[in-house]
Amino acid sequence: MLGKTDSNATWFIVAALGLFFIGGLLTTVAPPLLDKSWNTAFVNHDPSKGMTGELKPYTEQENRGYAIYIREGCKYCHTQQVRTLEADTVRSGWKGVKAPVSTPDEFVNDWRQTFGTKRTGPDLARVGGKYNKQWHKAHFNNPRDLVPGSIMPPFPWIANNPQELDDLVAYLQTRGRAKDWRPDGDYEK
Amino acid sequence: MAASTTDMAASASAPVVHTDTSAKCFIVGAICYMVVAGMFALVIASKFVWPEFLGSVQYFTYGRMRPVHVNGVLFGWLLAADMGLAFFLVPRLCGVKLWSEKLGVATWFLWNVIILSAVVTLLGGYQKGLEYADLPTWVSVLVVIAWVMFGINIFGTIATRKYQQMYVSTWYIMGTILWTAFVYLTGNFATLLPGVTGVNQANLTWMYTHNAVGLIFTPIGLAIAYYFIPRSSNSPLYSHKLSMIGFWSLAFVYVWTGAHHMIHGPISQWLQTISIVFSVMLLIPVWAVVYNFIATMKGEWHQLSDNVSLKFLMSGTIFYLLTCFQGPMQSLRSVNAITSKTDWIPGHAHMAVLGAFSFFAMAGVYHVIPRVFKTSLHSDAVANWSFWLFLIGGLSMFTALWLGGFWQGLLWNNPSIPFIDTVVWLRPVWIVRLLSGVLVFSGMVLFLYNILATVVGAKRHAAAQA
Ligand code: HEC
Repeated sequence: MLGKTDSNATWFIVAALGLFFIGGLLTTVAPPLLDKSWNTAFVNHDPSKGMTGELKPYTEQENRGYAIYIREGCKYCHTQQVRTLEADTVRSGWKGVKAPVSTPDEFVNDWRQTFGTKRTGPDLARVGGKYNKQWHKAHFNNPRDLVPGSIMPPFPWIANNPQELDDLVAYLQTRGRAKDWRPDGDYEK
Repeated sequence: MAASTTDMAASASAPVVHTDTSAKCFIVGAICYMVVAGMFALVIASKFVWPEFLGSVQYFTYGRMRPVHVNGVLFGWLLAADMGLAFFLVPRLCGVKLWSEKLGVATWFLWNVIILSAVVTLLGGYQKGLEYADLPTWVSVLVVIAWVMFGINIFGTIATRKYQQMYVSTWYIMGTILWTAFVYLTGNFATLLPGVTGVNQANLTWMYTHNAVGLIFTPIGLAIAYYFIPRSSNSPLYSHKLSMIGFWSLAFVYVWTGAHHMIHGPISQWLQTISIVFSVMLLIPVWAVVYNFIATMKGEWHQLSDNVSLKFLMSGTIFYLLTCFQGPMQSLRSVNAITSKTDWIPGHAHMAVLGAFSFFAMAGVYHVIPRVFKTSLHSDAVANWSFWLFLIGGLSMFTALWLGGFWQGLLWNNPSIPFIDTVVWLRPVWIVRLLSGVLVFSGMVLFLYNILATVVGAKRHAAAQA
């Protein structure tokens, strides 16, 4: 059958698209239908069923901060996923408590996925509540003032713009907060 | 049955006179954009060594310049060069003129509008926020229009062809046009449909990003290699059957593998497993293609020493083999746990886009430019220099990033090492990457110079004769 495609362009088009669409549809359209967690927000108020918490919709301010995160291409240096690797849970952990692994239901409000491909800086999936606003302001102004040896770029146009700084920090503080993973609600503001 | 390109082109060249305006515009323009994208590369590589460099101007921050580099290389240089080469070789393989040179030139004008808009919008902070699909939506719409124009022109040429049987390069180019249409729509538009968020959006993005390489740059790059390897070495393609196996297995297997970019990540385990199984199956099309190329060269290797196109083609073939061996390996869970998200990844990506597909395209350019301008290459020596700069710069960049990235991955897997230490220790790797980049960039400048000098020389020559 494929022999015909050699001299008949119509046959060729049918075969090339047909083979492509089998995998194309099965790997894009089917998965969200099969795995409901892709589209259902995380919520659990019963401690006996595991970690509690609730994924809340973004506020307007958090959405503005989200847009700044996209605009500056932070995702080219930061991932947002605690993978199913022991080291990831320890690195994103806090005071000896391991961070929970990221699950699809924590990301259903994300209108631009920020999972990322490259960790030039640390993973930010659980950075919400790790630092307070003062820290972020100083860090955006010049990362090397706080972390010598850092190669994160300075963002003075954000640090010196109170509105943008508030927005971006508000967004960062949401990261990983759907799950109440830190004991005693120990989060910075 | 396996009609070699040589016979086909020989019988074609007698009656048909090709004007090649579209091919000329696309190829020369692409080389200029390559140098610009290379300048962006040097700046962002410098920022890893001196993070303050151009740091306080928002338009030149890393996160905005990087997408300009990536899109500049992919669309400004590589895809444009590939399209230019397709405008050259499809009419020759079909034994007819290009369907419409006017449409081709119009496509080229639109292409320039796209590239310039891309630079301005990305630096201005209007990126869409999806890797490889960074261009704002209205620019993506222009890309779709340009692609349809390109497709009409190529399919129009094929529809009027004189030879019933189509050579393997023709299939690959047709495949590229068809698949790209759907892959591009998925990554740039389906991802933005209402209700598409989070993991779902990521999965669609990966369908695009992965297949941008696998079903756009791979097939069009292979089309070029399939045409120019027999052509440059003057020997018929080793096996028609093998080229069919390679093509149809690529068409079926590639699209399944997108989720291997999220191994261990928040995406369904069964989808990860499917992507791994299909990633390993990719070894089939790769082996079929590489074996065919190498077997075609049997007994012809001596030609390598004085044929710069063949040098690029054969080292590109080796890089293609290596990249496509790395790919399946990286998708294995145990290897992925070390290499994923590290500097290994840009090493791998550069070997594919620079080492394999740009080398194929440059081989094509060196072959085509003297022919379409009806002259000889300005300087073989400069061409050789550019080859060695690309090869040595490329190799040292890839190796530095693999070794550095692998080491980085091992360090990350030991959580008692603070993250910032791993940043500080990687500095030597990033310095080597920058220096290698300088070598590659010098190769680009020589390449541009040689081609422009050839074009200008041809114009002068024509003027003197008139
Ligand atoms: C060139 C790569 C790069 C870019 C771009 C970048 N960062 Fe970073 N980032 C780093 C590195 C490296 C570190 C680790 C050293 C440090 O803390 O400065 C870091 C650390 C951080 C931390 C602290 C994480 C922790 O757990 O201690 C935060 C928060 C952060 N970055 C946010 C951002 C935001 C928001 C943006 C975009 C506006 C951004 N980064 C852009 C490289 C980058």
